Amino acid sequence: MGRMFRLHRIFVAQYMKNLMEYKVDFLTGAISFLIGQIVQIATIGIIFSQIPDLEGWGFNEILFIYGFSLIPKGIDHLLFDNLWSVGYFIVRKGDFDKYLTRPINSLFYVIAEKFCVDAFGELFMGIVLIVYSLIQLKLTLTWYMIPLFIVAVVFATLIYTALKIGTSAIAFWTKASGHITHMVYMTNDFSKYPTTIYNKVVRTLITYVIPFAFTAYYPASYFLGKGEPLFCIGGTVIAAVVLMFISVCIWNRGIKAYESAGS
Amino acid sequence: MKFKKFMRTYRPFTRAGMLESVAYRANFICFLLGEIMSCFIMFFVWKAVFNSTSGQDFMGFSMNDMVVYLFITFLTGYLTYSDGTYAIATEIRDGSIAMRMIKPCSFDMCFLFQELGNKIFNVLVIFTPIVVGVEAYKWVITGSCQFNVVNFLLYVVSLILAYLISFYFNVSYGFMAFYLKNLWGADILKECIVNFLSGATIPLAFMPPFLASVLSFLPFSSLSYTPVMIYMGMYSPFEIVYKMLFQVFWLAVMILISKLVWRHAVKRLCSQGG
Repeated sequence: MGRMFRLHRIFVAQYMKNLMEYKVDFLTGAISFLIGQIVQIATIGIIFSQIPDLEGWGFNEILFIYGFSLIPKGIDHLLFDNLWSVGYFIVRKGDFDKYLTRPINSLFYVIAEKFCVDAFGELFMGIVLIVYSLIQLKLTLTWYMIPLFIVAVVFATLIYTALKIGTSAIAFWTKASGHITHMVYMTNDFSKYPTTIYNKVVRTLITYVIPFAFTAYYPASYFLGKGEPLFCIGGTVIAAVVLMFISVCIWNRGIKAYESAGS
Repeated sequence: MKFKKFMRTYRPFTRAGMLESVAYRANFICFLLGEIMSCFIMFFVWKAVFNSTSGQDFMGFSMNDMVVYLFITFLTGYLTYSDGTYAIATEIRDGSIAMRMIKPCSFDMCFLFQELGNKIFNVLVIFTPIVVGVEAYKWVITGSCQFNVVNFLLYVVSLILAYLISFYFNVSYGFMAFYLKNLWGADILKECIVNFLSGATIPLAFMPPFLASVLSFLPFSSLSYTPVMIYMGMYSPFEIVYKMLFQVFWLAVMILISKLVWRHAVKRLCSQGG
């Protein structure tokens, strides 16, 4: 475990050097994501300029849920972005050989290799939205909400990561699975709004099948004082643990099925 | 005669594009399912919005209009999407653009015809189901068939104009991405801004009046809002003519810009290997 942390630090330091070389790159990426979020929030703002609340949820509450959704998404984007490449081209090109021949766990190596700083745009926006909406809502937070918040964010991040690990591991059998990861990943947008606005099918899907609702709406509604802590935070933890277990199993089986590419 | 030669030169590109898209059809369909998800999210959001408003209408749109708007906007966005930015920027990076320059055909025409070939499959797979679906939905809700052939045909014309504007805009932007380096970031940036400014994220009619009037003069509204409003029959005949002339105007401007950028970029281009 200690060795892994040390290795991770070296990888990050290496990547940081790379980054300093391409400052414009970093700025374009981070600013793009920031502007992307601003545009979406402007859309919500325009809608709310016409209605007092959305099925019982006020503007600031929606902003809080939205902001919350960006934090785990951003952390996953920051640390685990290289998984996308596995499904898109690493396996197809046969480049996965590299990861198997090194004396460290292949999954760890894939993850640690890259560090995606574009995510700072999302993280920054998420923090701004959470702070702003908390001030506007004048919520009183008790001390134990802070550790609970951290727990919720960590496990929510793992939900994202687990779904990416599981779907990108499909590439070990099919050669490419980036489009499957994309399809599953896109459902995360459902979590930015209260699940009460959806019909039963969608609600069941995002709670129990692809549990993105636990990455934002459920934990956020607990902090807003509208949800059961056991279901909202406990559910996030359970969903993350179960998904991670399944995904790592798929990954390990996948590695055994991996055949390098021809040339 | 000239036309015949023109077609003979560029038809192989269309064919290549078509084969390419058929070869990756599974990817395409998964992507489509991923993308159309956002339509359904907005469908539920709007349903909640309509439940929360006291009247039947929301700023002149009924829920029915909103459904048509969402799906036709999605369709328009998909069909006018042009991959020029990414394709050109990648070719500049890896040097394969040099191969295009030594061929005896125009640079932008090669891209255009290849992409049209790509589109044929997309049109078959998504155009008919969405249009039929939307019309069937309207029929079920209102109890009578409301399909308007004239509006539909005008929509198709406007859609083609929108695609060409989008194509030349993306060709120009592709060279920009060359300076910006981070292709992926620059592409996402463009998508977000264009979607918002073109009224694809939210109808221009909902925006603050000042912003809406500014946006209707920018080229972006020609990309999505104009064809969609024509389909929905929101424009009077006079407005349709006016808006389409506007599209033609911006198409001419975009072609001009792309030619200028191309000429400038060729001088700077330094191919790597290739």
